[in-house]
Amino acid sequence: MLELTVNGTRHQVDVVPEMPLLWVLRDELGITSPKYGCGIAQCGACTVQIDGAAVRSCQARMADVAGKAITTIEAVGNGKLHPVQEAWIEHQVPQCGYCQTGQMIQAISLLKAIPKPTDEDINEVMSGNLCRCGTYERIRVAIHAAAAKMGGK
Amino acid sequence: MRKMTLIALTLAGSSIVALTGFVLAKDESKDALPPGSISRAEGLQAWKRIEAVVTHPRCANCHVDAKAVPIWTPAGESKSRVHGMNIHGGKSRTGVETVPCTTCHVTSTLPNPPAPAPLHAGIDWQLAPVEFIWFGKSGAEICAQLKDPKRNGGRDAAGLLQHLRHDASLSGFIPRAWEAGGRSTPPGTFEDHVKDMARWGAAGQPCPG
Repeated sequence: MLELTVNGTRHQVDVVPEMPLLWVLRDELGITSPKYGCGIAQCGACTVQIDGAAVRSCQARMADVAGKAITTIEAVGNGKLHPVQEAWIEHQVPQCGYCQTGQMIQAISLLKAIPKPTDEDINEVMSGNLCRCGTYERIRVAIHAAAAKMGGK
Repeated sequence: MRKMTLIALTLAGSSIVALTGFVLAKDESKDALPPGSISRAEGLQAWKRIEAVVTHPRCANCHVDAKAVPIWTPAGESKSRVHGMNIHGGKSRTGVETVPCTTCHVTSTLPNPPAPAPLHAGIDWQLAPVEFIWFGKSGAEICAQLKDPKRNGGRDAAGLLQHLRHDASLSGFIPRAWEAGGRSTPPGTFEDHVKDMARWGAAGQPCPG
């Protein structure tokens, strides 16, 4: 049995150490907000936080994350909506929504590193998160809005 | 009694650390050959094999200049291109200013998954320090750089061998160049590379030209 903490709750899972975290979250724990897009870290749809850092959960294997704290989109706001989530709703960012949990987790990471990002900063950091619906313009607007909410005016 | 136990445990711990250090140092010194035991000509032959390793994409692609843009040479391709996704290592060389390398190159001692999944290592993924530029450099330039302590992390020939063994003990980047998930690998093996570095060192680190 291997142990991990997801959104503050400790879990024990009986899986092989090589199982990707994404599989553990979705198939073992029923947390389906991180999405399977490519399985090779090329799309960003599976992004979660591991010990506070954005990581592609298709690449983190169970042996790599045992004992670490995993946070999915459900818990990034500590019981309320995170300013990034608020901005996403206000600007109606998603279309189909499939990539959006990964987009928001990456945006939170961006705002931690760069509290007041320029468009260029956003292009740099968000380029690893693909959106087939093409919501990039709304993502950019929402990130600026979230930055303002978080004080990076 | 509790204090005595604590002291005993601390001393035992220190002894283990000291012993581990001794064993590691002894193990690392096994690689070194006596200085002068290898001729200059043999040393230059060893360098040719080392050059083929350090200029191979698996080794050179993260030894890039101050722009800190890593290079990709995808599986099945020989032409190099810049890393996708606007990735750069920043001043930190770890990407922490924007997207840390470890976002995708997750730190792991498990075997690498098959390409095109990103490579992993037991050390946090990062670019080599900016003074260690290999990508785009000639073999002669890399040779001069590799034996210059100002540009090799302050290492002599024995230090370079220790660097290889230390990196391998952490399941680091160097041995993993030969376990690249189906991508092309440098010629020979990691152990061949260690032996060549020992021969080159024993010959006085001769460079071509």
